[in-house]
Amino acid sequence: MILLMPLLIALLGAFVVLGFRNPRLATRAALLIGGLEIASLVVIVWQVHERGALQVGRYLRVDGLSSFFLMNIAFISGLVLVYASGYLSHTGEGRFSSPRWFYALVFLFLFTMISVCLSANLGLLWIMMEGTTLASALLVGFYNTEGAVEAGWKYLMVCTVGIAFALFGTIVLYLAAVKAGMNPPAALNWVSLMDAVPRMGLDPHLVKLAFVFIIVGYGTKIGFVPMHSWLPDAHAEAPTPISALLSAVLLNCAMYAVMRYEVIVSHSVGPAFPHTLLLIFGVLSIVVAGLLILVQRNLKRLMAYSSVEHMGIIAIGLGLGGPLGLFGALLHTFNHSVAKSLLFFSAGNVRHNFGTLRMDSITGMSRTMPQTSAALIVGGLAIVGLPPFSLFISEFAILSQAFTQAQYFVATLFLITLSVVFGGFAYHFLRLLGGEPNSVPPSSKLIPSEYSVMGIAALCLICFGVRVPHLFSVLVQEAIAVLR
Amino acid sequence: MGLVEIATGKVLSSFSVFLFLTILLLVVARRISTSVLLFSVQSAIIAAEVFATGFRERLAEAYVVGALILVIKVVAIPRAFFGLVDHLKTSHDVKASTTPTQSVFIAAAMIYLSYAAVHSYGQSVHVPEDALAASVALILTGAFLMVSRNKALMQMLGLLVLENGIFLAALTTTFGMPLVIEIGVFFDILIGLLLMGIFTFRIRDTFDHLDVSKLRRLRG
Amino acid sequence: MKIAINVLQALALILGGPLVRGIVARVKAFLQRRQGASIWRPYSDLAKLFRKEDLVPPTASSIFRVVPFVLFGTTICVASFVPLVQPSALLASRGDFFLFVYLLAMGRFFLSLGGFDGGSSFGGMGASREALVSSLAEAPFLLSLVAVAILASHADIAGMVAWTMQQNIFNISAVHILAFTSLAMVVIAETGRMPVDNPTTHLELTMIHEGMVLEYSGPRLALIEWASAVKLHAMLALLVALFVPWGMASSVSVGAIGLALILYCAKAAPLMVLLAVIESGMAKLRMYLVPDFLGVASAVSALAVIFTILVKR
Repeated sequence: MILLMPLLIALLGAFVVLGFRNPRLATRAALLIGGLEIASLVVIVWQVHERGALQVGRYLRVDGLSSFFLMNIAFISGLVLVYASGYLSHTGEGRFSSPRWFYALVFLFLFTMISVCLSANLGLLWIMMEGTTLASALLVGFYNTEGAVEAGWKYLMVCTVGIAFALFGTIVLYLAAVKAGMNPPAALNWVSLMDAVPRMGLDPHLVKLAFVFIIVGYGTKIGFVPMHSWLPDAHAEAPTPISALLSAVLLNCAMYAVMRYEVIVSHSVGPAFPHTLLLIFGVLSIVVAGLLILVQRNLKRLMAYSSVEHMGIIAIGLGLGGPLGLFGALLHTFNHSVAKSLLFFSAGNVRHNFGTLRMDSITGMSRTMPQTSAALIVGGLAIVGLPPFSLFISEFAILSQAFTQAQYFVATLFLITLSVVFGGFAYHFLRLLGGEPNSVPPSSKLIPSEYSVMGIAALCLICFGVRVPHLFSVLVQEAIAVLR
Repeated sequence: MGLVEIATGKVLSSFSVFLFLTILLLVVARRISTSVLLFSVQSAIIAAEVFATGFRERLAEAYVVGALILVIKVVAIPRAFFGLVDHLKTSHDVKASTTPTQSVFIAAAMIYLSYAAVHSYGQSVHVPEDALAASVALILTGAFLMVSRNKALMQMLGLLVLENGIFLAALTTTFGMPLVIEIGVFFDILIGLLLMGIFTFRIRDTFDHLDVSKLRRLRG
Repeated sequence: MKIAINVLQALALILGGPLVRGIVARVKAFLQRRQGASIWRPYSDLAKLFRKEDLVPPTASSIFRVVPFVLFGTTICVASFVPLVQPSALLASRGDFFLFVYLLAMGRFFLSLGGFDGGSSFGGMGASREALVSSLAEAPFLLSLVAVAILASHADIAGMVAWTMQQNIFNISAVHILAFTSLAMVVIAETGRMPVDNPTTHLELTMIHEGMVLEYSGPRLALIEWASAVKLHAMLALLVALFVPWGMASSVSVGAIGLALILYCAKAAPLMVLLAVIESGMAKLRMYLVPDFLGVASAVSALAVIFTILVKR
């Protein structure tokens, strides 16, 4: 069945890539496998669009929501693999002595993330979510420097504890379902739960308790404040392609998990409780992240905190609900991933050329690295939500929903944080880009793989900002239909 | 088989006491090997509980899960820990940040807290209060161990105790989750431990010590 | 008839003290792969001491002379509170577990005074250490007995034993397990065994109990040694009686009493072996770690008391 294809390709691809000892052959094989992977994901998305939800056996299922996130994975992983092929080859110096391990781990990582989106069973969802942590831990610590090892350990520990709490939440929901009379094997199946919840009354206390643990547990993976402590370290110390994957794809997958639970809980105890929780975590995240952005000194940490902030925005969109809120939230997952990838790719170039990511030791980039500076400008303007870039559309949608629902407090905080973040980014980037250059980097030319993906990303941001393509909008609507 | 009936009945009603004892002893243990041994005893008690539940509820799956616990958590993981301690050539000290007296008072407070928490939920779920309180206490103890022990190996052990608590909560309330999920969870824990073991080697090689309280380079 | 049995119980505790010491020493020797002395050796030691000359330091006051008798007297009293083969004791009365704790404390207090009074510096050192250990051990000692008393709703040890005998042996009670753990740790501290104090040390700087009795000789020393043996026996008997009393005679017949006596020996034996194992297996704690050891005992006994509330709810 086609649902199994991407999983098999990713899993087998990981082992196949390990077999190529020659780095160039390994890279070519990885690109090939990646291409196959993306093709199979696109096929699935198309099938779901044509025929509706598909199910294989008891554990795998794809519907509008899953296919939206699968499309996200496909697009970003394509960009990342192309970028990585170039990045790995010209950041030699013995660091990437074995790109085949890198690609193998990346494919394993992709396997787990795709499984998360394809799970019909909440238990399988948990297992694969834990799998994403395990698969990416070695990738975070890939460089084996002090910072990388510390970041990898912290990532592994904090996320495993968080996921353990999510397991507890899963168990409590399972308990509520079984107590209400559901058949045990079906009690973890998302479709059966959605069926049964309106008919049988699940104990509201248990369901609320379950959702609290779920949002705390999976929220750790999303990076909600106060569970975000691993995020800046992991995203900053990981290799650039991995940072992009983490920020752009993994956070979205975790958000997907929370969305799945939110639907069940809303249908069971009403939308007020889950929405309130989502709003609380969302507001907390954007405020704290916004403030911390002002004092950052490392370029990638700055972007990592920006990811926290944008996840908060998505949570607010989810928490507000309504057609505009959901549209904005889902669109934002995609837009943010594109913009964040662009930013991380530029940061990778900065790191490669200047040897450091400390912003106070770099000035005058616009003279010495014009192309990367352009990318940074595009990415920076996009990430703070200015038109004509796509993030403006999604944030505007969420903001309008806030005003429609008379959530003035949330809207005000949102606007204030946006301005604060704009100020922060402006300050940091102006110092980076303006002024006299203080050192000439060895090579300021971008290699084809790098500038092509960055160009694609930038183009995507602008196009989507001007007008969301009709097909894309339809896909989003199908996803929203699942969420209502 | 009247004796087995009685035995299972008594195991089910009294095992939580022994779990509390292991919790108290875990928080005062000063050597890594003692802590690992206590974890092994704890897992054995939980395995006994699984078998007793399986016998009483006539669930064949419970026997499989119980056997898995015995093999993995009582034998394999402690052995791996002892091997790790040997290979890492690290000191056996636990590097606790609280004195034993403080630790055991905190443990006593946590046990009391877990009873208080369970009491409010105990009415809606018809399970023996002791067992559920024991599971919550295990979760709290695991978290406490992770926070108060400055050695990387002890953080791993705290995580294992936390998972023990969550598993026990699942066992007492729903007699375990579907078998496939349980096996998946075990698999995840094993791979997780493997990765953490790899990371402890890396930490030791990069930093020359295993003291996680000194891993504070990345801040802000 | 019951009173005669009670008298015999007390006598058995008193006369059996040195035997308990001898057995523990023999098991320790076996664990340490030594020959070890015979289990009746403490008796011959006592006999020898009684025949020896009684030397009193010239600087000692009358307290020094009185201490052995006070110590022995309080220990005999304490031995009369503990049931051995039937759930009653010679001097049982309401609140006698308080007396149990504090008569022992009085004996220790006088021993400390004697240690100071002897005039040697090691005596003073041992006495001050003993003061630390006993003050820390008092709380868990009392709390564990209180926890059992609350559960049993009886204020005398004999009553608690009788209550426990009526419970189902298989209903393992959380309170009792915690109280047993705490009381066992207190027994180790009170009777001066490892890991708190080494009873066989000859290095004065490591002595607590031995340091206080350095200046005693002859019959006075014999009385002190006998008193400490009786204390050990009484506390072990207390552990057995409070926590595993089943088998005690409920009727006053020779058969029942005989069976109870045999069962008592069977129950005390594992405790003695356990004590020997702990003594051989653990190194002596440094002095600044003893408060941690007793702190753990305090917390466990406090938890036992808290659990009585949970049980009685």
